[in-house]
Amino acid sequence: MHNFLYLRKDVKATLVGEVFGSYSLVLAMFGFAIVVMAPALIISRMISPRTRSNPVKFLPMECGQVPSGAGRTHFMMQYYSFILMFVVFDVMAIFLYAWGSTILNLEKTATLPIMAFLGIMFAAMAYALYQSKRRDIW
Amino acid sequence: MSVIAPKFRLGHFIKSITNDIFWIVVLITLIGIPVIFIVLFYIDLPVLDGELVTPFLAFTMLAHPELSIPLIDSFMNTDFFRIAIFPGFGFAALIAGSTIFVERKLLAKLQLRVGPFYCGKIEGILQLVGDGLKLLSKEIIIPAKADKPIFWAAPVLFVATAAAFVALIPVAPGWVVADVDVGLLAVFAVIGFFPIITVLSSWSANSKYPFIGGIRALHQMISFEIPLILSLLGVVILTGTLNLTEIVQSQTSYWWIIFLPIGAIVFFITMLAELERIPFDLPEAESEIVAGWLTEFSGMMYGLVQLGSYIKLYAFAALFVVLFLGGWNGFGVIPPTPPEIVDFGIQAGPISVDLPGIEKLTERTLNFSLINGVVWFVFKTVIVIFFILIPRGVFPRVRIDLLLHIGWYKLITLSFVNIFIALGLLYAGVLGPGGLL
Repeated sequence: MHNFLYLRKDVKATLVGEVFGSYSLVLAMFGFAIVVMAPALIISRMISPRTRSNPVKFLPMECGQVPSGAGRTHFMMQYYSFILMFVVFDVMAIFLYAWGSTILNLEKTATLPIMAFLGIMFAAMAYALYQSKRRDIW
Repeated sequence: MSVIAPKFRLGHFIKSITNDIFWIVVLITLIGIPVIFIVLFYIDLPVLDGELVTPFLAFTMLAHPELSIPLIDSFMNTDFFRIAIFPGFGFAALIAGSTIFVERKLLAKLQLRVGPFYCGKIEGILQLVGDGLKLLSKEIIIPAKADKPIFWAAPVLFVATAAAFVALIPVAPGWVVADVDVGLLAVFAVIGFFPIITVLSSWSANSKYPFIGGIRALHQMISFEIPLILSLLGVVILTGTLNLTEIVQSQTSYWWIIFLPIGAIVFFITMLAELERIPFDLPEAESEIVAGWLTEFSGMMYGLVQLGSYIKLYAFAALFVVLFLGGWNGFGVIPPTPPEIVDFGIQAGPISVDLPGIEKLTERTLNFSLINGVVWFVFKTVIVIFFILIPRGVFPRVRIDLLLHIGWYKLITLSFVNIFIALGLLYAGVLGPGGLL
C-alpha cells in the first residue's frame, strides 16, 4: 500500500539531547499555556470586588444548608476494584504497543506468544471482573 | 425636559474626529514606536539575502507590505509561532471558543430555543466576549478551609495539560509543535494527567460535592482509558509506527475508518467519556451533585476550566481525524498553480498578465499545500466536533454501574475484536508489506 512505511527500519542510535529536543516543545507548550493563563486569574483578582464581610460566603457549597462535618471524609465508592484493575491492565495494554509498533518487522511466528499473552490477559481480566461483582469483599 | 440626543453639529463632529486622530498619532509616536524598537532589539532577527536584519531595517520592512513578507515568513518558521499561534495555543483556543458558541446555539436549536441572541446584534455572535468580561470581573470565592495553592493551580494546570495535548497533534504536513517519535504514547501520557488534576482540585476544595464528583471522574476516566488505549492498537499494527505524522501519511489513499470501523466507534465512545460529555457526564452531573468537581470554582477559575475542557475536546477530535479520517489528506481545494502561469503569466490571445505574487505564494511558508491541508483538517475536525456535540441534546445520563459495565465488558471486548480484525487484514495479505492494496 505505502511502501515507504513498510521498509525495514534500521536500528539507529540517537542522542539523549536529540530525543529530549522534541519533547521539550511539549513542555514549552505547557509552560506557554501557564504563562498566558495565569495573568487571567491575576487580573481577575485585581479588578473583581472582594468583600470579606460575611464569613458564610466562604463556607463550602451545600445547597443552602449549613455544612456539616468535614469535606474530606471516608467515602465508600463500591467500585474500588476497578481502580485496582486499572493499575495492572493499563501497563499490560501499553506492553501490547511494543509488539504492535514492530509487528511488520517481526516473523509471523512471533505472534503466537503474543496470542498466549492476550489469552492470559483476557482470562485474568475476566476473573478480576468476576471478583469485582462481589461487593462484600470491597 | 431632558434632551435624549444633543443636537448634531458637523463642526463638533469633525473636531472630535481630529482630536482623536491627534491623540492616536501622539500616543503611537511616544509609546508605540519605542515599544516596537525595544521588542525588536531583544528578538533574534533572521538573516535575509545574506544580510542580518537590524531593528531599524526590520522596522522599515514592517511598514512596507512587500518587504514585510520575508520577515513574516521567517517569523512563521520559529518555534514561538508554532507554540503560540498556528498549530498551537492560539489555533486551539480559537476553535475551542467557537465550539462553545456553536454548542450553545446548536443545543438551543435542538430544544426549540433561540440561544444567545442579543449580544452583538447578529445571532448573539459576541456572547463569548460578554461572557469572558463577566467571568473576568466576577469575584473569586474560595472555601475557607480549602488547600489554597493547589486550588488556585488546578484550573491553570488543566488548561496547560490540554495545551500539551494539542502540541502533539499534526495539523498540516510538517506543521506540528512537537514531532515526537512515539507520539501516540505521548498522547496517552498526557491524557493520564487529567484524572490527577481533577482529583487534586476536588480534594483541595474540601467540600462534599467536588469530592464525589472527583471520585466519579477518577472512576470514569480510569475505566475508559484501557479501551481507549486498546482501540488504537489496530491502527498501530497496520501502520507499524507510533508517530502521528507518519500515521497520517499512511492514509493517502484509504482512511483507517474503512478497515477498522469498530476501533473508530470504540475510540469515539471512550473519547466522549474522557471528555466528560453527555451521556457520560457523571463527574459534572448538574441534577445530582450540583456541578460535580466544578462546584467550588467561581469566576475566572471556572472560565479557565471550561476553556481547558474545550481545548481538550478539540484535541480529541483532531486525534480522531489524525488516526481514522486521514488527517490533512484530501483532494486539492485550491489547485496548485500550473508552472506556465508562474513563468509567463496568464496569456489570452494578444494579452498577457504577469502575476508576480503567485511565485512567492508557492515557495513561501504559506503555500498552497499548507492551505489545502489546513482546510481539510479543520473541515474534518469540525464534523467530528459536531458528532461530539449532538449527543448532548439527545441522550440521558448513564448510571455509574452501567458506565463501568460498558467500559470494562463491552468496549474492551470490542477493542480486542478490533485488534484481531487488524491482525487478520495483515496476515491475510490485504494490507501490509506486499499486500493487495
